[in-house]
Amino acid sequence: MSNTLELRKVSKSYDKFVAVDDLSLVIEKGSVFGLLGPNGAGKTSSLRMMIGITLPDSGEVVIFGEPFRREHLDRIGYLPEERGLYKKMKLLDQVVFLAQLKGLAESDARERARWWFERLELAAWMDKKVEELSKGMQQKVQFIAGILHDPEFVILDEPFAGLDPANADILKDVLIEQRKAGKTILFSTHRMDQVEKLCDSICLIDHGRAVLQGELRAVKSRFGRNHVQIEYEGDGDFLPSLPPVQSVHNFGNYVEVELKPGADPQQLLLAVAGRARINRFELAEPSLEKIFIDTVRQNGKSNGTPKGAEQHA
Amino acid sequence: MRNTWLVIRREYLERVRAKSFLISTVLLPAFVFAITVLPSKLMSMKTGGAERIVVAASDQTVADAVANQLQSSDSDRKYQVQTKVTDDIADKEELDSEVRSKKIDGYLWLTNQAILNGKVDYATLSTGDMILNQQIRDAANQGVTRARLLQHGVQKGELDPLLEPVKVDIVSLSGKKTEKNDMAQFFACFLVAMMIYITLIMYGMSVMRSVLEEKSSRVMEVLLSSIKAKELMAGKLLGVGAVGLTQVAIWAAFILLLGSPGALSTPEVRDMLSGQPLLVIFLPIFFVLGFMLYSSMYAALGAAVNSEQEAQQWQWFVTMPLIIPIILLSKVIISPNSAMALWLSMVPFFSPILMYVRVVAQTPPWWQIAISIALLLVTTYFIIIVSSRIYRVGILMYGKRPTLPEIVKWLRYA
Repeated sequence: MSNTLELRKVSKSYDKFVAVDDLSLVIEKGSVFGLLGPNGAGKTSSLRMMIGITLPDSGEVVIFGEPFRREHLDRIGYLPEERGLYKKMKLLDQVVFLAQLKGLAESDARERARWWFERLELAAWMDKKVEELSKGMQQKVQFIAGILHDPEFVILDEPFAGLDPANADILKDVLIEQRKAGKTILFSTHRMDQVEKLCDSICLIDHGRAVLQGELRAVKSRFGRNHVQIEYEGDGDFLPSLPPVQSVHNFGNYVEVELKPGADPQQLLLAVAGRARINRFELAEPSLEKIFIDTVRQNGKSNGTPKGAEQHA
Repeated sequence: MRNTWLVIRREYLERVRAKSFLISTVLLPAFVFAITVLPSKLMSMKTGGAERIVVAASDQTVADAVANQLQSSDSDRKYQVQTKVTDDIADKEELDSEVRSKKIDGYLWLTNQAILNGKVDYATLSTGDMILNQQIRDAANQGVTRARLLQHGVQKGELDPLLEPVKVDIVSLSGKKTEKNDMAQFFACFLVAMMIYITLIMYGMSVMRSVLEEKSSRVMEVLLSSIKAKELMAGKLLGVGAVGLTQVAIWAAFILLLGSPGALSTPEVRDMLSGQPLLVIFLPIFFVLGFMLYSSMYAALGAAVNSEQEAQQWQWFVTMPLIIPIILLSKVIISPNSAMALWLSMVPFFSPILMYVRVVAQTPPWWQIAISIALLLVTTYFIIIVSSRIYRVGILMYGKRPTLPEIVKWLRYA
């Protein structure tokens, strides 16, 4: 299988601040890839180099098997993190304009745009201006603008931000379709639930470096099946002091417990059952969210670089 | 090329379709007219009724002559003149009290004694009306001269031919243009200079705002994922410039229409605008050059800052060179061939306004126009290069306000 994108030892700094540090990653054709990381980790800087907004100081960006050229841009779709639309321009004109910049003919772009507006339930709004729309609708328009030219590679920076569950679902369906049609999709996000639902592979970056990457399943199993998710009624303050427990992460509605190496989950079940009413007790792989938090925290400790990188985020 | 063309087309259509384009096309000339021509028109009109004036003289001949002169004054003013024959200084005090009690608006004390002493007074409460003062002076002089001639035995019928003034026309030999009316000429120059000035500022700021909007709304990122910063900036400048040129062309056509005989304008307006083909020819030329020069700076400014507030702090930097010619404008109009006017109109940042005004006021030698345009072209070229570098780096910089040394550093990045 060929690769849609490869970053080979890519670095980028702004003045003295290192935004991306020796980053290498591979995105396979037809896969859904999650680029994760805390704020200011270098996600946007990495994306910008993939779409030619900035060039790396060193290293190589390889797209569709060739070193990056501007001609490749017509085959890439990009959805920025914040809404990037002209407020006073009519929706249809707007997406047609952006698609024309990607090389589409005007009539063709108009036809496709109408289809997409229909599909994303925006048909009634085509002649409205962006400023008259809600945030969620704007996000959908932005999405149409990103994929109207039918790109082989779609880059989405926080695509679900600001969408209600119904609209998020519509968008998710479209993405799954795109993937079935052989498109490669790259997400940048810190919404771990979406990543777990959609992604094949991930790369977690922090301070501009890749700290964890690989296929989602492989990454999770690397952390072992020594996690238990518990939903219970009552006070859970006693949990960390139980003997088999290594650490506890409280997600509000449920807790995720990491067991000590070699500890028996059965032992934990008995201990908890004696003190609280259990609604669910599930032996599981660690959630991505927990992996994310643990990895970033650990990396912060060992690496010790100061924060304050938000400027270029 | 295709991308630049698409950006030009978007900028042009979005702007020309907007209501604000129509409004500014109509309102701007009206506004400029209002601040240049209207005040002087209003000055010659006076609100309220006729001016009640008493002319006091030693004999009836002088008093009548002055009164007649005043009443036949050529203006919109109305005078209600009474005459009073007196030499008595006590009458002066009585007249003073009449002015104070506002029975009359003023009196002219024109006794033989006063003329002899060179102390002829017009006493009034409001001394600020320049047109009234001038008419009173003229009437007093003319009236006294007439009275003296009559006293020397000149027949009444002979007076008018004797006093007929000579009219002097100023004729330029350098061009065919004849100066018909100094005032009209002055206002024509002022009007066109203000038009260019306001259009340059208006379109410059508009470029700045739209660059800033693209940056802060992150449209910029979407655009840059398709096209180069250079293409984007070129498209923006050319697109907005084309809008401005359209507007200027509408005005130029309108000027031609007003200036042509048989059109729906008054003779004064025709007088002011006809015989001025240069006014129309050079308007687009200086607009385009001035626009490119200033708008590229405004584009760089919009790219460098993060908000309107920040933009305002830097704006004077770009706006100042536009304001200087406006401050010096009336001096250049009054003596368009002075050394000062010559040198100022050669400075590239001023020439879009000042050279244009000189062309309209009194066409300078062609080589002066050529040098000024050449200097403007070269400067514009360099400013565009510098601006596009600032633009390229600035549009991707978010966060804190850049300092001047930082901006200088950006120039080296590119």
